[in-house]
Amino acid sequence: MTAALRIAFPALVLAALTVGTASAHHSFTATYFEDRTIEIEGKLLQFLFRNPHSFVHVEAPDENGELRRWAVEWGGAGQLSGQGVTSQTLRPGDVVTITGNPGRNASDYRIRMLYLRRNSDGFDWGRRPGETFD
Amino acid sequence: MRALAFLLLAAAGPAAAQLSLSGEWVGRYHEDFADRIPGDVQGDFTGVPMNDAARRYAEAFDVTRVAVLEHQCQPYNAPHIYRGPLQFRIWEEKDPATQQIIAYRKYLGTYQQWRTIWMDGRPHPPEHAPHTFMGFSTGEWHGDILTVTTTHIKKEFYRRSGIPSSDRTTMIEHYIRHGNLLSHVVIVTDPDYLTEPYITSQEFVLMERGNQNWLYNCEYAMEVPKPKNDVPHYLPGENPFIRDFADKFGLPFEAVWAGAEAMYPEYMPTVEALMHGQAQ
Repeated sequence: MTAALRIAFPALVLAALTVGTASAHHSFTATYFEDRTIEIEGKLLQFLFRNPHSFVHVEAPDENGELRRWAVEWGGAGQLSGQGVTSQTLRPGDVVTITGNPGRNASDYRIRMLYLRRNSDGFDWGRRPGETFD
Repeated sequence: MRALAFLLLAAAGPAAAQLSLSGEWVGRYHEDFADRIPGDVQGDFTGVPMNDAARRYAEAFDVTRVAVLEHQCQPYNAPHIYRGPLQFRIWEEKDPATQQIIAYRKYLGTYQQWRTIWMDGRPHPPEHAPHTFMGFSTGEWHGDILTVTTTHIKKEFYRRSGIPSSDRTTMIEHYIRHGNLLSHVVIVTDPDYLTEPYITSQEFVLMERGNQNWLYNCEYAMEVPKPKNDVPHYLPGENPFIRDFADKFGLPFEAVWAGAEAMYPEYMPTVEALMHGQAQ
């Protein structure tokens, strides 16, 4: 067993034992290209703080410069609450920069959230330990 | 006098001393972890004896269909729900007069589902009776194994990859307890989508401490903006992801897609021949 695996294995076991029920919903690997990342910057239109997963809708240009409504999938309300995110954390009109995995269906303009930063005050999510979701 | 009282107490025990399944059980996921918990890329059809009707359905299936309003909070049905992250609670309902077990009650945390396993010998309802995601269940003990038969199950899927299950699915379960471990064997028969019984097994461990993972909150919302009534799907021959699993693991797609034939060791020479053919 490699050193990395020795470290990761207990974490995997723990995650499996305590796994939340949200992950029954769908497979991220099947829905997103987990080996690719995309970055968008634009105006937040809607923040759906909910279970099983939250969504952030952002108006931002696509690769051709055309404005699109991007649906960015985030953690469930229960999981994000434990990370200090509330329904009031983001508001329509916030200008945000988001990095994530693009959806496999390009026409969906869908992203799995990896990192979010609000430009006005520097609030960010996704770089500190524990800021993940399943 | 004391000896007589003890004798009476001992003789008053149940006629058949059954293992207790009562308690809170949580899944162990070392078996088929990738399929059951995170999920893999699209196109994993291995190990399911699917027929041509199931192939046509799976080929047309788009995994983003679960984002459609009508499907977001749809539970997995009984044959499928044990294959995902799950913990469940079992308790006994006893006849107050006889203390015989009338039913086992189950509460499943995933999708907050309830099951009743009737142990009083009642018949299953007629075919036209309503179907539910958990179905109608009766059980009987065979030695230390509880065997449960379930009918009247709503259609759903065997896999998140889109292999469908029909509302004519029936399920046999075996609950086999070894100390604090519970083996759960599921045998599914489906005349519409399977060519032979589909058998899975999973393990659960008795929880020594409680937790709060008993709720599945799900609120409907327009997750990904779509035109009203749009149902994500692919037309025949146009699913661009159907070979992803085969490609990821270096398997011939024919083997992934073969159904029952590829489930048995006798298929190995065919796989080798297919791979040799691909290599040429």
